[in-house]
Amino acid sequence: MSFLAPLFFAGLVAITVPILVHLIQRERKTVVAFPSLMFIRKIPYQSVERRRIHNWLLLLMRITAMILLIAAFARPFFNIDPVKAAAARSGAREVVILLDRSASMGYADHWSKAQAEARKIARTISGEDKGTLVLFGTGAEEAVRATGDASRLDAAVGEAKVTSDSTRYAPALRLAQSLLSRSSLPRKEAFLISDFQASGWGKREEISLPDGATLTPVSVGAIETSNVAVTSIKFQRTSFSGEERVMVTAGVTNRSTAAVKGLDVKLEVDGRLVDTRQVSIEPSSAASVTFPALTVAAAMRATVRAGEDALPSDNQFHFVLSPSRPVSVLIIQAEGAQSSFYISTALSIGTAPPFKTETLTPSRVTPQSFEKRSVVILNDTTPLSTAADEALKRFVTQGGGLMIVTGEHVPWNGATPLLPGKVGGAIERLTTGGGTLGTIDYSHPVFEEFKDPRNGNFTTVRFFKYRQFTPSPTDKVLARYDDGSAAVAEWAVGSGRVMLTASTVDKGWNDFPTKFLFLPLVHKIVSYLGQYQEPDSWYTVGHALDVTVPIAAIVREGGAGDAGVARRPTGVVMSPSGSQTTIGEGGVQAVDLAEQGFYSVRLQGAGERKPFQVAVNLDPEESDLTVMSPSELVASATGKAAVTSAGQSLENPNLTPEDMEKKQAVWWYLLAAGATLLLLEAVLANRLSKRFGFGLS
Amino acid sequence: METHALPGARFVDPKVLSRIKDLSLLARNVVDGFINGLHRAPYFGASIDFAEHRGYVPGDDIRRVDWRLYARTDKYFVKQYEADTNANFCVLFDVSKSMGFKSDEVSKLQYGSYLAASLAYLSHRQRDRVGIITFDEDIVAHVPTSAKHFNVLLHTLDRAKPEKPGRLIPMLDKMAEHFKRRSIVALISDLYENPADLLESMKPYRSLGNDVIVFHILDPAEISFPYTEPSRFEDLESGEHVPVVPEVFAEQYRKMMQDHIAAMSAKCSEARIDYLQLTTNQPLDEALFYYLGNRERLMRTR
Repeated sequence: MSFLAPLFFAGLVAITVPILVHLIQRERKTVVAFPSLMFIRKIPYQSVERRRIHNWLLLLMRITAMILLIAAFARPFFNIDPVKAAAARSGAREVVILLDRSASMGYADHWSKAQAEARKIARTISGEDKGTLVLFGTGAEEAVRATGDASRLDAAVGEAKVTSDSTRYAPALRLAQSLLSRSSLPRKEAFLISDFQASGWGKREEISLPDGATLTPVSVGAIETSNVAVTSIKFQRTSFSGEERVMVTAGVTNRSTAAVKGLDVKLEVDGRLVDTRQVSIEPSSAASVTFPALTVAAAMRATVRAGEDALPSDNQFHFVLSPSRPVSVLIIQAEGAQSSFYISTALSIGTAPPFKTETLTPSRVTPQSFEKRSVVILNDTTPLSTAADEALKRFVTQGGGLMIVTGEHVPWNGATPLLPGKVGGAIERLTTGGGTLGTIDYSHPVFEEFKDPRNGNFTTVRFFKYRQFTPSPTDKVLARYDDGSAAVAEWAVGSGRVMLTASTVDKGWNDFPTKFLFLPLVHKIVSYLGQYQEPDSWYTVGHALDVTVPIAAIVREGGAGDAGVARRPTGVVMSPSGSQTTIGEGGVQAVDLAEQGFYSVRLQGAGERKPFQVAVNLDPEESDLTVMSPSELVASATGKAAVTSAGQSLENPNLTPEDMEKKQAVWWYLLAAGATLLLLEAVLANRLSKRFGFGLS
Repeated sequence: METHALPGARFVDPKVLSRIKDLSLLARNVVDGFINGLHRAPYFGASIDFAEHRGYVPGDDIRRVDWRLYARTDKYFVKQYEADTNANFCVLFDVSKSMGFKSDEVSKLQYGSYLAASLAYLSHRQRDRVGIITFDEDIVAHVPTSAKHFNVLLHTLDRAKPEKPGRLIPMLDKMAEHFKRRSIVALISDLYENPADLLESMKPYRSLGNDVIVFHILDPAEISFPYTEPSRFEDLESGEHVPVVPEVFAEQYRKMMQDHIAAMSAKCSEARIDYLQLTTNQPLDEALFYYLGNRERLMRTR
C-alpha cells in the first residue's frame, strides 16, 4: 500500500489529544458546585487516581477514529504489478497479448506506453511459452501467431500503429477465447492492453475464457484527460441570385474538466483556409460555430479543425460540400393537352429533394432531350419519334426512371421492351360513382409511407375511367382497382425503373389530383424512379462503401445518359493513405472505410467527371475518453472476479499514483468509517456524561 | 378565614411546596393540612387554662377575681391563665451561599424558608410573638418579635437570597445580644462548623433562659455523596476548587458527614438543646411534630 500524501501522518500526533482528554481535561472540564469542602479538604487528594483511564472503550474509539481520518487524508492506494505477478508462476504459457490500436490510443503517450507494456509482456515469454499478438480496434486481427520468439513479438509491436478504428473489446476477447481454447499448454493467459474506454464495452457481450485461463488488464489510460473534438457538421442551404449558398455549422465538444478559452476553429475548403472563428467552451460542454455562407457549385472537400490537443485526430472533421442538385424531370404530353398541370405543379413545390421539370410535346422531343435527366414522364402522350424512342430506351436501360401515364392518347400495346405488358381499352366507372383502389402493396418503397392510416386513405380517391392493363409475368403490380384491374405496375429495364399508372394524373379520369395524397405520392414515385438517395456528406470509420453510392450520385446529377457508367459499374477507390482498391465488377463489392480522411472514387466510363469524394471521420464515441474500471471489464467479460493468475488483487502499474488513488477511492471508506466511529463515540460519551446532573441552578 | 380543603400530606412535601410562591399561603396550607392530620386540638395554653392565683392589686379587672376563694379565705385573688403568658418565637435563619445548594428541585434555603414560615405561622396562630433574624457573614435582616410581625417575617423570608459566604459562630455570638426576653429560638442552618464551637456559641442562649431548637438542613446529596466521575469540586462559599475522585473518596466523606451529624446531635443533647437533622426531600410534618412536641413540653414544664 502506498500513500499519496504521507505527510498527513504527522497528524498522528493528534492521537495524544484523546489520551490527554481522558487523563487531564476530563477532570477539569466538569466542575461540581458543592456547599462546603469542609470534609473534602480533610481527605488527602490522590493524584495517581486522577491519571487513571476510566473508559477504555471511549479512548479506543477516539484513537481509532483519529487514525482512520489521518489515513484517509493521506490518500492510500494499492499498487501491485499484475504482469510480474502473472509471470511468477511456473509451467509453459499460452500468452495472448491484446493490444488496443483504436484512435483513442493516439492520446498523448498512451500508444508508446501500450507498446512498452506489450514488449514487457513479450519479454516474459521463454522456453516452451507461446505468444500471440492481437491488434484490435473495431475488429481484431492476429499480428503474430503463437510464437516462442519474443523478438518477433517485439518487432510486431514496434510495427503496429494507431488506426482510426473505434474501440471494441468484444472481438478481441472472442479471438483470445478462441486462441486459448485451442491451446494445449497448461497455463493460458491473456493480457488486455488498452486505455479502457468505457464506450468500447457493451454490457451484454458474452465472453467465456476457457477454465484456468486468466485475463489481466493493463491500463495505459488516464483518469483525468482533456480533449476537444469536432463532433458534427450541419448545413443550412439558401438560394441567392440563382446560386446555392451553404452555411456550415460545426459542433465542438469539450470533454475535459477545464474550460477552453478562445479556441480557434478553422474551416478549410479544398485545402484552403476559408475562415477562422474563436469559441470558448465550458467544461464537459459543447458549443457550435457557424461560418459565413459559401457558394457551392460543385462537390468540394471541406474540413473543420478545432485547436490542437493530446488527441489530434478528433480535432478535425471532414465532409464533402456538394450542391443539392434537383431531380431533373422531363414531362412529355400530347399536343394541345393540359394534362401535366397538376403533376408539374406538384413537382415544382418539392424541396426534399427539389425537382426541376420541363414539359415537351412528342414532336419537340429529340434524343438530346434526355441528357441530364433523372426521370421521364410520358403523360398520356402519343408515340415519340423513332430516334427519341431509341434514346428513351437507352436512357432507361442506363439507369434512368420512366413513368408511363395512360389515358386516351396512349397507343402502346406491348410492342416495345419498355412496356412488356398490354394496355387495353378504357373502362368507365361513371355509372357506379367511380371505382376505388382495392389492393395496395404497402411493402413497396413508394407506398410504404402510406401504410399508416394517419398518413392518408386511398379509398377516398374515385377513378371514373382507366385503361385496361394486362401486365406481363415479370411485371410487379403495386396497386389494383376494386374490380381487380392493375392500377399501378412496375418493372425493370436494364438499370432503370419503369412504372405505369392505368389512369391519368389530371382530373379528366379521376379526382386524385384534388386529394392531398396526390403530392406526396408523386414525389415518392419520381424519387423512386430517379433512384434518389440523400447524399451523405460524410461517413464514420467502419462503414462500407459500395459502388451504388457513386452511381446514385451520377444519376442524381443527371449523368445517367453518359456512356457506360451504369452498364459497367466498376471503379477504383483511393484511400487517404494512397492505397487503391477496385470496386464493382471485377473487384470487391464494397470497400471498408477504415481511414480518417477523404476517399476518391473514380468510376469507369465517367470520362472527365471529377472523382466522387467520400469524407470519413472518427466515431464520435472515440472522442469520449471516459475510462471504465479494468477490473469491472474483466469481471463482466469473464464472469470472474478481477484477479491475476497469482490470485492477487488487480491493479495497474502504469496509472499514475493520483489516478490509482482516485480510482480506488480507499480514502472515502476510511473517512466514512472514521466519521461513523466519531458519531458512536459522541453518543456513548453523551450517555456517560449524563451521570453528572448536580450543581447550583 | 381558614381553609382545610386538601389533605395535609400534600402540603408538607417540599417538592409540592416549591410550586407555591406565596409564603403565607404556603405556611397556612402546611400547618392547617398538618393539623387536620392530627386528631386532637392544637390550642395548647389557650385562655381557658388556669395557671395560678395572685393577689389582687388595684387596677385588676374585678371580673377575674376568684370569688370562690374569696368566700373561703376572705381575700381577693385573681386567676391567671396560660394564654396570658404568650411566648416569643424567633427564627435564626442562615442565608449563606451554601444554603443555595440543591441536587433536586428544592434548595436548602427554600426548604428552610418553608420550615421557618410554617413554624412562624403555627406560633402566630397560638398568639406567640414571632420574629426572625437572617444572616450570612453579617446580619441581613432583623425582624423583632411581635404579634404583628408575622407578615414582615414572611417578607423577610421571601427576600432571602444565598449571596454571601456565611460566618455562623460570630453571628450566633452577635445575635445573642438581641434576646432580652425569654424566647423560643429556632436556628435553621446547614451547620458547617465544628460542633463544639457551635455549642459554645449557643450556650448564652440557654443561659438567658431561651429554648433553643436547632434544625440542621442538608441536601440528600450532601449525605449520600452520589458522584462517580472524577471532577473538580467548587466550594460555594469560598469559590475554592478541589479535584476529587469520588471512587475512593465517597466512603470517607459519608463517614465524616455521619460523624458530624452524630457529634452535633450529641453536643446539643448535652447542652439541653433540641436538635433535628432534616434533608430537603423530607416532608415538613416531621419538623412540625418535633416543634409542637417541644412547645407542649416547654409550656407544661413552665
